[in-house]
Amino acid sequence: MVRRGLASWWVIAVAVAVAAAAGSGLSAAPTQGGTLVIGLDQEPPTLDPHASPSAVTYQIISDVTESLLYEGADGKIVPWLATGYKLSPDGKSFTFTLRQDATFSDGAPLNAEAVKWNFDRITSPGYKAGIALTALTGYAGSTVIDDHTVRINFKAPYAPFLTYLAGGWLAMLSPKTTPAEGDAVNQKPVGSGPFVVSEYAPKDHITLARNPQYTRRAPWSDHQGPPYLDRIVWRIIPEAGTRVTTVQSGETQMISFQSVPAAVLPRLIADKSLRVEKTPYPGVPRTWLLNVRLAPTNDLKVRQALEYGLNRAAFVESVYKGLGTVACAPLTLYTLNDPALCKTYAFNPQKAAQLLDEAGWKMGSNNIRQKDGKPLALVINSINYGAGNLPEIELLQGQLLTLGVDARIKSQARPPWYEDNYHCATNGPVLFLRDPDVNGLYALFASVNIGGNFNWACYANPEIDRLLAEGRVQFDPAKRRALYLRIEQILLEQAIAVPLVDELSVWVMRGTVKRTAYNYSAYPVLSDVYIAK
Amino acid sequence: MIRYISTRLLATVPVVFGVTLAVFSMLYLIPGDPVKMMLSEFATSPEQIATMRAQLHLNEPFAEQYGRFVWSAARGDLGRSIRDRRPVTAEIVELLPATAALAVAALAFSAALGITLGIVAAVRQNSWWDLGSMMVALVGVSMPSFWLGLILIFIFSLRLGWLPAAGGGGALHLLMPAFALGLGASAIIARLTRSSMLDVLRMEYINTARAKGLAGRSVVLRHGLLNALIPIITIFGLQFGSLLAGTVIIETVFGRPGIGRLLVAAILNKDFPLVQGVVLFVAVFYVLINLVVDVVYAVVDPRIRYG
Repeated sequence: MVRRGLASWWVIAVAVAVAAAAGSGLSAAPTQGGTLVIGLDQEPPTLDPHASPSAVTYQIISDVTESLLYEGADGKIVPWLATGYKLSPDGKSFTFTLRQDATFSDGAPLNAEAVKWNFDRITSPGYKAGIALTALTGYAGSTVIDDHTVRINFKAPYAPFLTYLAGGWLAMLSPKTTPAEGDAVNQKPVGSGPFVVSEYAPKDHITLARNPQYTRRAPWSDHQGPPYLDRIVWRIIPEAGTRVTTVQSGETQMISFQSVPAAVLPRLIADKSLRVEKTPYPGVPRTWLLNVRLAPTNDLKVRQALEYGLNRAAFVESVYKGLGTVACAPLTLYTLNDPALCKTYAFNPQKAAQLLDEAGWKMGSNNIRQKDGKPLALVINSINYGAGNLPEIELLQGQLLTLGVDARIKSQARPPWYEDNYHCATNGPVLFLRDPDVNGLYALFASVNIGGNFNWACYANPEIDRLLAEGRVQFDPAKRRALYLRIEQILLEQAIAVPLVDELSVWVMRGTVKRTAYNYSAYPVLSDVYIAK
Repeated sequence: MIRYISTRLLATVPVVFGVTLAVFSMLYLIPGDPVKMMLSEFATSPEQIATMRAQLHLNEPFAEQYGRFVWSAARGDLGRSIRDRRPVTAEIVELLPATAALAVAALAFSAALGITLGIVAAVRQNSWWDLGSMMVALVGVSMPSFWLGLILIFIFSLRLGWLPAAGGGGALHLLMPAFALGLGASAIIARLTRSSMLDVLRMEYINTARAKGLAGRSVVLRHGLLNALIPIITIFGLQFGSLLAGTVIIETVFGRPGIGRLLVAAILNKDFPLVQGVVLFVAVFYVLINLVVDVVYAVVDPRIRYG
């Protein structure tokens, strides 16, 4: 009797489990159609991928335009419009073979001529290019070999090219309908992707419509053909409180968490109808660059004391409320990871105090360290966005005070902030840099960039310059990795910068929005998205 | 009447010139190099900065630059936005209808609420109605509009789900913003209507009208209100200016497109041509509105045009 009872319970349990699995949508077919409304924090200056300096542009058009290669969140570079490539023996030319079946949404063929036209456009002298131009440093023209083979030439071997090609900035626009300038390309760029820009209402919204002619499979996708959604509407809602309300009330189904105070997050996590998605950013984390030419940060021991004495975990906990992870190196761990990096400067306030003592800075009566009658004072360069001191800067100041350092915050508008950085006038700014390639370190630490963008540690080290130059021409992934780890090791030993937080790109969406994905640069790719009933 | 209008029109000319001079001088009064500031978001070379200086004619004498600025502005060319390179005039014209709709709706709401409260308070002076109306007015003028906007969103969008929080759509999208924007102005109009009505209701002709046997409402509204409205019309012109200023906040809070948002974004982006263009446009518009108010004032009150 007992056995039969147990058996029947088993059957019921299994039946319930199967029913639950079927109902949960794990094997449910995607819903066709519908509109996804996404709340953005700011309007992009332009939707032209070649001209934009702003990440917001690429957040919007990552489904409208396509590139030759694609790098997903897993860091693997896969073919997209190009089926393969060959590197010339001298490393200066890349020969790409293109797909035969790709066309732009206006019907123009996506062939070698089109690829050449795109790269020539970005680098043409009269054209006001954006980030895309920095990705083509040393470009020396393209050669059309045949309809579907094109060779891209550079003045010198250029290893970062493949990552930048896969990062989304070097998107392909149609030569047929893209004029040189003006509203058409700034508001409705014509690409080859699963969506097209159908409407642009300035300061209000941007509408993307499904491209029914899209017959290929996007590299992040699991299905071939056009997307499930009819439309994606990107709404510009700068006010953080209003934006959060819209996703809670369902007025929007997804929002960017940019510029929303982190303290709001627990409320959204607790809301069972919402889902929070976090993607790490590649590039340079939120970092305090230390000016090596200005006292007291010109002293290695002082710099190292700062590395030991600052509690990075406190930043993540209190200011970022968990929307980030502790940074250990000049590049985020997502970009380049190695266990040795985080071991270099584990939080050790005693060691920091010891180093400062060794440097001659003894604790004074007012809890500020002194040497030769002078207090240990420094100036942090901070941007003022109009709402008072930034919380991470204030936390930095507070932590420095416990070490006996009198840190002053110079809070100013962006232009004078830039000026002070160009002139090495303060003890350093706090900044971050989004870059899919390790080559991002070049902008920050190559001596040629002192007085420009962005060597604001004013650091000149011939060995670093040599290693950075070598890294740019080194194509072997293992050798490249070793090179950049060596660069990071030197930068850490010299304590040129204090990395604080590896930041995350955060999006909040309703539970009914399924199959969102992000590429390596943390831009959302949404052609697989559907809204469940 | 024609002479009145033409003198008024002539008087606005020096005002408009003064405004253009102030707006144009902004570029020079800001500390720092204006070109470097404008291009600070982009990585630039010294050649690019030199090209921009030449393009903006910054190497010419001040008077020449000012003349060029005024001449272009008179022809409708306010330059190009640095950030998205579109003509400033085009951007303003594109967003003008949305702001106009908001300002007109807010003005209509504030007039309706303010005048009603004012009449009620005046007619029932010193009663609970009077006290109550003036309390409502006081609360309205004390609340910051952005706070009121956020409270409205919280109640009507989040909790009740009746109204959309953001966007520039139709009438439903206009209700909360118009209310938030107009409440402060309605308070001022209420107080002014009350005192103006009190003055008018004491006049001899009101007694005459009552003696003639006219109904109370007709007396108050036709004989009283129309005369009481004269100072209120003047206030409308001034209130329109503060409403335009209020659109900056309300458009940001409610995510509505409009001139206010355009100005805020331009300031934050150091987009000088756009800031100059919008400020000039708003200032000239304000001057013209007050000109219209002056003319209406003269039409409504014959004593003005002949006195």
